[in-house]
Amino acid sequence: MRILRSKTGGEELRSIWRWELTLSAALLLLIVGLLGISFGPINLSFSSIVKSIFGSHNALSEQDQSVLFDIRLPRVILAALVGSALATSGAVYQTVFRNPLADPYLLGAAAGAGLGATIAITNSHQNVYGLLPIFSFLGAILAVLVSFFISGKFFAEPNTLLLSGIAVGSFATAIQTYLQQRHSASLRPVYSWILGELTAASWSVVSWSAIYISIALFILFAIAKQLDGLMLTDEEAYSLGVNPNRLRIIAVIAATLATATAVAASGLIGFVGIVVPHLVRGATHRVTNRALPTIALVGASFLVLADLGARTLLSPAELPIGVITAFVGAPFFLIVLRRKRLVNQ
Amino acid sequence: MIKIDSLNVRIGSKEILREIDLELSHGKWTCLVGPNGAGKTTLLRVILGAAEYSGSVTDNGAEVFNNHSRNVAFVPQHPNIPAGMSVAEYVMLGRAKRDGWGTESKSSKSLVARTLKATGLFGAQNQLVSQLSGGEMQRALIARALVQEPEMILLDEPTSALDLHHQIAILNSIESLKSSGVTIISTMHDITLAAMYADHLVVMKSGGVLLSGAAKSVVHSPELKDAFENRINVFTLESGREVILPNKDELI
Repeated sequence: MRILRSKTGGEELRSIWRWELTLSAALLLLIVGLLGISFGPINLSFSSIVKSIFGSHNALSEQDQSVLFDIRLPRVILAALVGSALATSGAVYQTVFRNPLADPYLLGAAAGAGLGATIAITNSHQNVYGLLPIFSFLGAILAVLVSFFISGKFFAEPNTLLLSGIAVGSFATAIQTYLQQRHSASLRPVYSWILGELTAASWSVVSWSAIYISIALFILFAIAKQLDGLMLTDEEAYSLGVNPNRLRIIAVIAATLATATAVAASGLIGFVGIVVPHLVRGATHRVTNRALPTIALVGASFLVLADLGARTLLSPAELPIGVITAFVGAPFFLIVLRRKRLVNQ
Repeated sequence: MIKIDSLNVRIGSKEILREIDLELSHGKWTCLVGPNGAGKTTLLRVILGAAEYSGSVTDNGAEVFNNHSRNVAFVPQHPNIPAGMSVAEYVMLGRAKRDGWGTESKSSKSLVARTLKATGLFGAQNQLVSQLSGGEMQRALIARALVQEPEMILLDEPTSALDLHHQIAILNSIESLKSSGVTIISTMHDITLAAMYADHLVVMKSGGVLLSGAAKSVVHSPELKDAFENRINVFTLESGREVILPNKDELI
């Protein structure tokens, strides 16, 4: 038999995952988080931030204290939560649907949330920001449920599920457009919500989204190792002790919970769910789902950085964060794709 | 002993397997033969425990459906080839059954390395599975099944993607498992190869079993010809080996 020569060389069997990679991602988030808290219309020094967080009352003026604790911290934490939720769900959807282009909004979650948000904005006269998260959360969950329901058997045909997700998405978008036309005053708030925004970040938003996203990520990290079985045929996965359909259902429910929470907290922020998983897998040359915690950490860092850009690039004006993620994400993504193709050839 | 009693499998309104009664011995190589659509792959999935059925299928007395206490390896005819996964990672997945998911013990690593050597894939361990040729991929599949250290291995058309030389190489390596007591059940389109390697042949047609018995006797049976609508001829070489070929005139 022909003995193949390895392009990368080496006789040793490489480890499938290394904890050092996860640790570096955690350090990255720490540094990026500090940058995100420090910079803005008012700059705060690193040392005084650290001192204040660890209880020193004299490190910052009262005004700076308020900027730090009431504006910057909740915003950076929310960006990190949303980024980790979107990146992890994207990676999970890509494995579950065996489709590298799958993103967290695939099963109609985005359009469902958009419709929910539009209903909230067009029907409430005052307390828009109270109702909006609830409506968009329910819209996202409902859209995914309807996609599952009309596709019939849960995972007998993953492509049927994808197509019903597209159909449900189009239907929800059609109703949303109709509602917007009827209530033209709502166009602007709906539009800015669709582009994604973290301006509404407050400790209350942070706390409820932290609860849901933590639950979802806890489940996804717990099943991460087994998810690798879904890269094989169902029979092989079964023979290795995995019940493939049950695993897929758990994975999709948890990923949808994370996505719906992210959308409810910050609107539709695109590109994170596709770019970050590919970036991590491309940079580490590893496809195992043991990378999920790392993908979550890099997703968090990515969105904290994007939000920093959104706040500072045109300061004092603010760019929608979705514009930044796409503006930076798309070219970055193309570079990774191109490198990957060259490696594959 | 694998004991199958009045096995029926329906998918929607379609009857895939009907009224199958069969007994298969452990430690032997059983080969399922028959035309396309006979239900061979479905029977393999049933024996694996991954397909719903009515009737009874027991392995050493225990019903097989959803029974994860057995260690049965499965080699599919059409594998999913995960993009970006290296050969070593792919083969290492086979250890999940023994070690649990995501564990890479030193002994597992050395078993994977030895198996890669035995299947001629060592040196390609860091290459991507998507870059392998058909024959190399088949060897990677077998390697993954071997590191599972299974008590039974099910193979769906293990030689269909291979040239003649590699067919024999793969079949020899599967045959060598018998000496360690592993039960082998495979499907195979090439009945000549099936007769050469299997101890036991099961002839299937339209979801039913026409005949089951020792390879030698099944090859010369009228049921085998019937399964292929009398369009095959069985020749015996001087060495005593049977060669089964399609009947050219009948096909016109």
